Amino acid sequence: MPSYKLTYFNGRGRAEISRLIFAAAGQKYEDIRIEREQWPALKPKTPLGQMPVLEVDGVELPQSAAIARFLAKQFHLAGKDNLEQAEVDAVIDTISDINTAWPASSSDEALKKKFLTEDLAKHLQNLETLGKLYGKGGHFFVGNQLTWADLRFYTFGQTCIEAAPDCLNNFSWLEQNRAEVEKQPKIAEYLKNRPKTSF
Amino acid sequence: MSTYKLYYFNTRGRAEIARLIFIAADQKFEDIRYEHSEWSSHKNEMPLEQMPVLEVDGVKLPQSGAIARFLAKQFHLAGKDNFEQAKVDAVVDTIADAMTQFLPIRFENDETKQIEMVKNFFANELPKHLQNLEVLAKQFGNGGLFFIGNNLTWADLLFYEVTETLLGLNKNALDNHQWLKQNRAEVEKQPRIAEYLKNRPKSQF
Repeated sequence: MPSYKLTYFNGRGRAEISRLIFAAAGQKYEDIRIEREQWPALKPKTPLGQMPVLEVDGVELPQSAAIARFLAKQFHLAGKDNLEQAEVDAVIDTISDINTAWPASSSDEALKKKFLTEDLAKHLQNLETLGKLYGKGGHFFVGNQLTWADLRFYTFGQTCIEAAPDCLNNFSWLEQNRAEVEKQPKIAEYLKNRPKTSF
Repeated sequence: MSTYKLYYFNTRGRAEIARLIFIAADQKFEDIRYEHSEWSSHKNEMPLEQMPVLEVDGVKLPQSGAIARFLAKQFHLAGKDNFEQAKVDAVVDTIADAMTQFLPIRFENDETKQIEMVKNFFANELPKHLQNLEVLAKQFGNGGLFFIGNNLTWADLLFYEVTETLLGLNKNALDNHQWLKQNRAEVEKQPRIAEYLKNRPKSQF
């Protein structure tokens, strides 16, 4: 049995997808949360001066997506064969594209407003398109089963809704997908008990 | 035997990594290249109205990263077990982080501004990413010339491909990075890759 240690800030951010995968799999792990003041001392000890970092039997792995995909594959939440895993990856990458396009908090208000009122909908439409293309008519993004694509959209959806509460109003498939994730027993339990954080 | 069709523009861009994987694996594929004028008539055939798209046995897959990883796994160029594949993915993500910073430069229309952005990128942004890549190679490379585990993986092919573009803009970009230069040389001399590089169309991006 490998031992897992996940290190990140005390927030959801780029680590929550991995925490959700551990939760869905019912897998124990050390959930290390670093306060901001502790970070400068820890930073040079991490492989790339960044978090999250996953330690598996003492070997350190950086990069949140690589970590999440590894864990998803370990726990059979990545797609049942190579092609399904690619469909899952395509959904993940499409969510990533939205993050890349999302204006930084330092951007001017007009740019942020345009993104939330115009651009975001186009990106969400892309996600619904993939869900309908790969989801085999069900509620999950790929192949009628929960994968980390659904868990990733779940955390991403929370960020969207916090920024723009009505962002999913025209996307009933995406809303249902989140509802489906929320009612998985192990996920429901995790969501009830996880620390409430601002990010 | 699966059939593979790769759709992209007539350039390296976001499809070349997939082409390099096919070549390294000696796998036939249909290399469909649309000129920009043709693209608008094919746009709505693609899931996200973007390219590249890989069609595998009739199923269309968008997203260049997902496509490349799928092909690498099909042809045993992705890492030999789950943890090795994760190390490969970590290197790929680190390369992608550098290129995310490069992309706005690529599409800047103001030439004067672009020249400044290029200078700034090479002087102030790229070095830390190259440093990070060398750190990962040391941790994962088993002392050899490939990024992970002493075997060619798509991480090496991707590094080769993006640095092709960067070196085209600044031939000194890797001067302080001996290991990275040697890694590129090792990729270049793989026989099927060498043959492909000799014959492929030249493009700036």
